[in-house]
Amino acid sequence: MTVSKKLTKKDITKLGIRSSLLQGSFNYERMQAGGWLLAQLPALEKIYADDPEGLKLAMQDNLEFINTHPNLVGFLMGLLISLEENGEDRKLIKGLKLALFGPIAGIGDAIFWFTLLPIIAGISCSFASQGLIIGPIIFVSCYFAIWLFRIVWTHMGYNLGMKSFEMLQENSDIIANSATILGVTVIGALIANYVSIDLLPVIQVSGGIEVGIQEAFVDSIFPKLLPMVYTLLMYYFLKKKQVSPVTLILSTIAFAIFCSYIGLM
Amino acid sequence: MQISLIQGLLLALAAIIIGIDYWLEAFFIFRPLVVSTITGIILGDLKLGLTTGALTELAFAGLTPAGGTQPPNPVLAGFMSTVIAYTAGVNAEAALGLCLPFSFLMQYVILFFYSTFSFFMNGADIAASNGDVAKIKRINIQTISIVALSYGVVVFASTYLAQDLMSTLVNAMPLLLIHGLEVAGGILPAIGFGMLLRVMMKPLYIPYLIIGFLMANFINMSNLLPVALLGTALALFDFFGTKNRKNEMKNAIKEISINDEGGNYNDGI
Repeated sequence: MTVSKKLTKKDITKLGIRSSLLQGSFNYERMQAGGWLLAQLPALEKIYADDPEGLKLAMQDNLEFINTHPNLVGFLMGLLISLEENGEDRKLIKGLKLALFGPIAGIGDAIFWFTLLPIIAGISCSFASQGLIIGPIIFVSCYFAIWLFRIVWTHMGYNLGMKSFEMLQENSDIIANSATILGVTVIGALIANYVSIDLLPVIQVSGGIEVGIQEAFVDSIFPKLLPMVYTLLMYYFLKKKQVSPVTLILSTIAFAIFCSYIGLM
Repeated sequence: MQISLIQGLLLALAAIIIGIDYWLEAFFIFRPLVVSTITGIILGDLKLGLTTGALTELAFAGLTPAGGTQPPNPVLAGFMSTVIAYTAGVNAEAALGLCLPFSFLMQYVILFFYSTFSFFMNGADIAASNGDVAKIKRINIQTISIVALSYGVVVFASTYLAQDLMSTLVNAMPLLLIHGLEVAGGILPAIGFGMLLRVMMKPLYIPYLIIGFLMANFINMSNLLPVALLGTALALFDFFGTKNRKNEMKNAIKEISINDEGGNYNDGI
């Protein structure tokens, strides 16, 4: 039995580019469903060119709830489109979609939001804060490369087909773990470099000599200890007390104004 | 300094393009670093854009839409931190504190869209059951256009229309309050990093946090690339270690099952 291929390499590249439309009509009821369907329409139209009923069914299935990661969604689209092309059972396609969109969202968040963004932003900002335009240029180039990889993921998902399902299950936790190690290391450095808390008070020592608390004590013992302590305090409130970030932002502003009022900072 | 009408319109145009990018999360030109840089170029003060952008970007590092939650809006923060520093003449730290209300405002506008766009889904269902491809396209174009236009309007109003009000307000603030906002601007990134740690941190990652922190504390680096490379080395170290252990475990299991089949229970015990 030979399955005639209806889609060309070009169609898959187009699918990868169109995967950028994923959040086109994002809403709380179906999340990314509208854009998910929109991105796949040209490919689906080609697959079901002689089968209008098949197209309707495929469109209805692909309008169901989905919420996954925009940078990796091409992988899932490629995989599922290859199944549509082979005329697999609709239930299998739907089942795989439901089984995979969550884990892909998890890997994507770990890699793209919690690892790559702090690293790329950290490096770019260390240039930009010195007034160097190379900072934003690095940032935009990196993210353009990440965008181009969407096309690669889509081809990968399409070519691997069912095999990609096993691959994903086998490796997702190891990759997420390594990515987190990289991310946490960089965040440690970011806390030291970009959170600044300077104490103002000076102590009168005998003989009329003034000693600034910040330079004499904090800087000589452990320069960035206060930023780390404050960050961990925020972490504690967010994680253990479930305080909302907005509350923390507002209370940090109030705290800062108070400290500046009493002359501590 | 004043923002001219042309500059205001250019900012609105930039906001429309950047707003679409944030809605789709495609090219990431919506991050404050890029938005502030573009704002700086439009206002003719690139350096101001770079410095306000760098600070705002890091304050927003942990405020991500991961998992379908909507954070304070990074686009408005990027525009307004630079604009406020430009029109009111305050420094980057104070501008960061002052841009937050605009960021919260846009966050709620987007949340409103998330809820109301659910109504479009009924039409999409009908389109799907009729195989109406054009209508699916139309619905997505409508939602994207609504988002894009609202970014244009909000940014034009906040930058061009509100500039005099803003600078009067900031100039009327006592110096102590401005200084307080500067202090806050220096501390605010801590919340972003705290949010990142909330999602990523487990006891087994504590050593890596300490390594990165110590390195930045006691080694003079002009940028963070060395830390990122060290982090990559640590990550690869762990990756290959885990892979090896997995393979060894697989082989061990294989051996045991071979021995079992041979019925020779005396081996290896």
